[in-house]
Amino acid sequence: MLIWSTAAPAIGAAFLASVVEVVEAFTIVLAAATLRGWRPAALGTGAALALLASAILLLGPLLNQVPLHALQFAIGVLLLLMGMSWLRKACLRSAGVIPLHDEDAIFAAETAQLDGAARRHDARLDWIAGMTALKGVLLEGLEVVFIVIAVGAGGGLLLPASLGALLACALVLVVGMFVHRPLSRVPENTLKFGVGVMLSAFGVFWTGEGLGLDWPGQDLALLLFVAIFLGAGLAGTAIARSAAMEVAR
Amino acid sequence: MTLLKEVAAELIGMFFGDARLAFALLLLIAVSAALIELSGLDPLVGGTVLALGCPVLLIANLRREKRAIAPIKRSAA
Repeated sequence: MLIWSTAAPAIGAAFLASVVEVVEAFTIVLAAATLRGWRPAALGTGAALALLASAILLLGPLLNQVPLHALQFAIGVLLLLMGMSWLRKACLRSAGVIPLHDEDAIFAAETAQLDGAARRHDARLDWIAGMTALKGVLLEGLEVVFIVIAVGAGGGLLLPASLGALLACALVLVVGMFVHRPLSRVPENTLKFGVGVMLSAFGVFWTGEGLGLDWPGQDLALLLFVAIFLGAGLAGTAIARSAAMEVAR
Repeated sequence: MTLLKEVAAELIGMFFGDARLAFALLLLIAVSAALIELSGLDPLVGGTVLALGCPVLLIANLRREKRAIAPIKRSAA
């Protein structure tokens, strides 16, 4: 039976991380669709989703063959590497050291690139637009697949984590259909900061469990790790911001 | 082929966005694992080193970024 106190963090982390990735993929698909219509964009997206589904179907059963502690350790290490990388980048963006992710600018750049390709090879443009959509969805989708596996597989929570990712896809698609432009008002860096905190917390938890450690308080230890990484992220942002402000003065 | 290269680059970038931070993390994990598995101490010691070491590494990495920005100011002045 699903225990919500255990499942909610997995659903939440998968949902928030997937929103970030799906928004980025949506921008690329929208650029392809704006230039050549929805057919090549939809075909490219469909092909990417089929490739991702095949990867899951091929690799999924293999996860059951891996001993639980080894799986938890491997996932914990990868989550730590990914979560800390996201958190570091979010801190630097929040401090103004590196520019924020700008969906409008990415949309403009993708459209200009496709427009340039249109002038060079008009006959192949549907193919180029389709491939652009395929690449965008495949590359962003890979991260979604990894996050779902990472937050779900270690604790038998693959279904709740998948549910979180599916909800994110549905939400972005519905909002995207209505606004029909890049979703630049999504607070992407704040989401990335929050997801970085959650993935890092999961990373410490699963790495410890994989090494045979019984954390005091079991799943509740996750809350402590979230608080620790949140504090470190905020402190790190303040440090980086002070340097950025010195440069600005 | 280009697509495969881009997939590989995306996967590497996911985990090794900043190589220095990534390798420091791997080293910390190795030390924690040694403390838990080999030292004979309470396993929680290794766990605590891991849980507190990660945020310390993050802050140290961001402090290093701060020092990297400072010369920009000096050269601009």
